[in-house]
Amino acid sequence: MNKQRRSLLQAVAAGSATTFMGPWAVNRAWAQAAAKKPLVIGLTMDASGQYGASGGEERLGAMMAIKEFNEKGGVLGRTIEALHMDTETTPATGSRVAERMITRNECAFLVGALHSGVANAISQVAQKYGCVFLNTNSSSPTEAGKDCHRTKFVWDGNGTNFAHAIVKNAMKVNGKNWVLLTNDYVWGHNTSKATRAIVEANGGKIVDELLIPQNTRDFSAYLLKLQQIKPNVVAAAVGGDDIKALRKQVVQLKLNKSFAFINNQQDWPDVYGLGPEDIFGVFGTNWYYRLDLPGVKEFVEKYQKAYPGVQIKVPGNVYYNGYMATRELLRAVERAGSTNNIKVIKELENLKVSAKDRMQTFDAYMNPNTHQMQQTIYMATYNDQPAEKDDIFKILASVPPQEVEDKDAPGACKLETYEATPTYEV
Amino acid sequence: MDFIANLLPHVLNGLSLGLLFALIALGFMLIVGVMEVINLAHGSLFALGAYVAFSMMGWSPLAGLPLGARYAVVFVLAPVAVGLFGMVLELCMRRTYGKDPLYGLLLTFGAALVIEEAIRLYWGSQEKALALPEAISGAVLVGDLIYAKYRFFACAAAIVLIVLLWLFVERTRSGAIIKAGAHDGEMVRALGYNLSRLRLWVFALGTALAAIAGIVMAPIWGIRPHVGVDAVVPAFLIIVLGGVGSFWGAVLAGLLVGLVVGLTGAYASEWSLLSMYILFIVVVTFRARGLFGKKSALDN
Repeated sequence: MNKQRRSLLQAVAAGSATTFMGPWAVNRAWAQAAAKKPLVIGLTMDASGQYGASGGEERLGAMMAIKEFNEKGGVLGRTIEALHMDTETTPATGSRVAERMITRNECAFLVGALHSGVANAISQVAQKYGCVFLNTNSSSPTEAGKDCHRTKFVWDGNGTNFAHAIVKNAMKVNGKNWVLLTNDYVWGHNTSKATRAIVEANGGKIVDELLIPQNTRDFSAYLLKLQQIKPNVVAAAVGGDDIKALRKQVVQLKLNKSFAFINNQQDWPDVYGLGPEDIFGVFGTNWYYRLDLPGVKEFVEKYQKAYPGVQIKVPGNVYYNGYMATRELLRAVERAGSTNNIKVIKELENLKVSAKDRMQTFDAYMNPNTHQMQQTIYMATYNDQPAEKDDIFKILASVPPQEVEDKDAPGACKLETYEATPTYEV
Repeated sequence: MDFIANLLPHVLNGLSLGLLFALIALGFMLIVGVMEVINLAHGSLFALGAYVAFSMMGWSPLAGLPLGARYAVVFVLAPVAVGLFGMVLELCMRRTYGKDPLYGLLLTFGAALVIEEAIRLYWGSQEKALALPEAISGAVLVGDLIYAKYRFFACAAAIVLIVLLWLFVERTRSGAIIKAGAHDGEMVRALGYNLSRLRLWVFALGTALAAIAGIVMAPIWGIRPHVGVDAVVPAFLIIVLGGVGSFWGAVLAGLLVGLVVGLTGAYASEWSLLSMYILFIVVVTFRARGLFGKKSALDN
């Protein structure tokens, strides 16, 4: 009786397993035949730390480009999936995330970076495997200089580009004695280095350089020191949450009226929502949502339609770079007809984008020797006659890429050869 | 002479910074000292205080009040609201009392994460600004240097709160019961006092102090969901440096940290954040129980 019952149970178990495994196996085979494996893009973007707010914006930009491609059937017949992991504004996390995305999640490409230390860390891992990595928003000149890689492409203007656009003019208008406020990490150091070189080459003097540790929240000692030094111009290379706190404390002391301030580059999420007083000085950017250029209005409307609940109601430079980088990557894959890394790299190295297509004033192109996008740089300040609530920038000048070129970068950048770059295809 | 004239503003600035550090550590110190619970949610409660104040400033029942009066009302109401939230948190913590301290640490760490994410969900991740009355905005000229009026207000608020808390703990009957509860809870219970209620009120007071610190620091540091992380680390460092459970130890440690950070900010700026940790290592190396910490039985 017991034996019979055991046999019955075994039969039921085997039957159940067959019923379960059979359709599953068939479905899997069917799924593989009917649709190609999705293309996974790893989004290596900060969701926390000093650049957490900006990381959210560039992620939306990348997602928009992916959505547009998916709406027209994906790329090479494959739908595109995005996988995001928080890089925490921390280089060690960036490395770990990149390693995991490439080795475990089979990401075809990596997109996203704000902090230059994080960007550098990700790019080292990406190069090790041959995975193409787009540095969307990190702007240390070293990214397309000594830390360049064959697999890395830099989409934002860098500290040198912005310094070229701003410094000479600020010297003419405000004077020759400058103090540098430098965020104490790779971007701050190299951006201030570029500013120093241009100031000194034009007969100016760097009276002092104050290094500001990352995550500084109280700037009173620095601001006292500035008052004692009394420079003509204060050039800040301070980013993320640090620049927000600095701006508040400068305004509390009304020092924005005592010195001329320039901030090498002003990311949109770091000023959005601030009051008119807080947005002082002159700063650089590579895009603004009210540029009077074809396509800008539609681009803004698309953002507002896709992301109605977000706090930042209009897109800024960080979103723009996230979008443009991802769009050009997917276009390059289409042109290459393959996800093979070397083919995609070659496409990106020869990239030329018209001003109209990029919604900038001048045509842009990828420098094949440094892998940095050469593009229009805008000099801006606070707009005291805004057309609407969010219209907080007044564009003072637009400078073509040739005039702001980082001439030291090609000498410093030693790209790995194609042969030394592992072949990578997912 | 010039050096002294240059140095003096930085010393004063360091002391003012120290007062603010002491203010940040005050609620943390109260909860650690009296309840022996390391409240890792202190930073998130600090942030919550700033956010609640921000929302209350735009609250319709207060809309008719002038800005100064509204700020004064919010300065009282927001910490009360956060204090009530602290009570709820304390109720959740009760099962961890008398067990391995790790349980309390984990619970408050989890609470910190939940509060920060809840802030992000409700208020968003964008920077917020707390409106300030005209009387404490702007700057004043002292000699040939400009100082923010708000900084004077913040320092004054820190001094008043430090004195009030000291008076409460040292000079009132409730303070005496709280101290007795920390020293020997069983005896306090045997004498007929409700120890659970006592802990509830102490925790509420500690969280309300965290909220006040958040409100005071909001115009200086800004209001962001993760601003609490910037507060909890120096708060923890200060109470250990001053000696766990020592009121004046925490105040002195706050002042020392402020001085060191302020002076290094002026003369060796890249060391300014690191300097507080170096100070900590030096003090703890030579005096493991902190500046005013009680001597352990093992030291005898």
